[in-house]
Amino acid sequence: MNAPSRQHRQPDSGASLILAIGFVMMVGLISAGLLALATSGLNNRTTLQTLRNRQYAADGAIEQAISQVRGLTCLSANGFIVDSSLNGFAIRVDWINACGVVQSGDRGTTAAASSSDGTVAAQRNVVFSACESTGAACDPTKVIVRATVDFQQAAAGAVTKTYVQSWSVNR
Amino acid sequence: MTTNRSTRDVGETLIEVLFTIVIVGLTFSALFASLATAGNAGIAQRNSVQGDVVIRNYAEATKAAAQTCVAGGTYTVVYPTLLPTGFSTTMSVVGTIGSGGVVAVGTCPPVATPQLLTLKVTGPLGLQSTMQIKVNTP
Repeated sequence: MNAPSRQHRQPDSGASLILAIGFVMMVGLISAGLLALATSGLNNRTTLQTLRNRQYAADGAIEQAISQVRGLTCLSANGFIVDSSLNGFAIRVDWINACGVVQSGDRGTTAAASSSDGTVAAQRNVVFSACESTGAACDPTKVIVRATVDFQQAAAGAVTKTYVQSWSVNR
Repeated sequence: MTTNRSTRDVGETLIEVLFTIVIVGLTFSALFASLATAGNAGIAQRNSVQGDVVIRNYAEATKAAAQTCVAGGTYTVVYPTLLPTGFSTTMSVVGTIGSGGVVAVGTCPPVATPQLLTLKVTGPLGLQSTMQIKVNTP
């Protein structure tokens, strides 16, 4: 009577320990997953903040370039600046100075227009490209912000107003 | 014979149960600790995201306000929506233009000199986010 009972009990011995170990492993995996998720989220925040700071650094560098280009004329050559003052990034801004359409009549096709009545004589469209400075011109595939700005110039050549025609954040 | 076997079986089961209880207790402690950590990390993450949204909104509002500038004038920065609970913002001029902390109202920069601003957002649990921007008088 007792022998069969012993045979039934022996296979069960240690089952609780195995269950406990299995439980520990399951909880460990859940904990590891939770911590990995939290860590991943916080790391992503850091990455996104760096990206945000870089975008606004490029944005500010273009503002700086706009103020510089404002003093140029329609005949000025293309150029660039390197702005290292924002958010710890060195941003290079290249610009292409495209002499724009001029009002009809005798006002010519350049900024040196003949009108002296103070009306807009020229529209100088300048394309700005901002990227992280590498010492070379901006690679089109690595442009962070690209902007097209219209400088309206009076006959005397001074810019009277700037209009942002496009402002795109690319990366 | 029967008594001895019965005693041994009971003893083994008790030890197993005790071990199991201890292990499960420790495991639950670890589980709760990790849940608490994950919860705190989630809160920190949420605050960080909100801080990012606030500082971006503030930057865009500042740039938009500066677009109305005329040389020698002022511009007023109005945060576009209600600030989330526990958040506050400040804006200060750190460039050569102006002096001292300007909050909400800025002096328009000269046409040829962009204004360098530092935006700072303070949030719950000591969150601080700082970013520099430049604004121009168009």
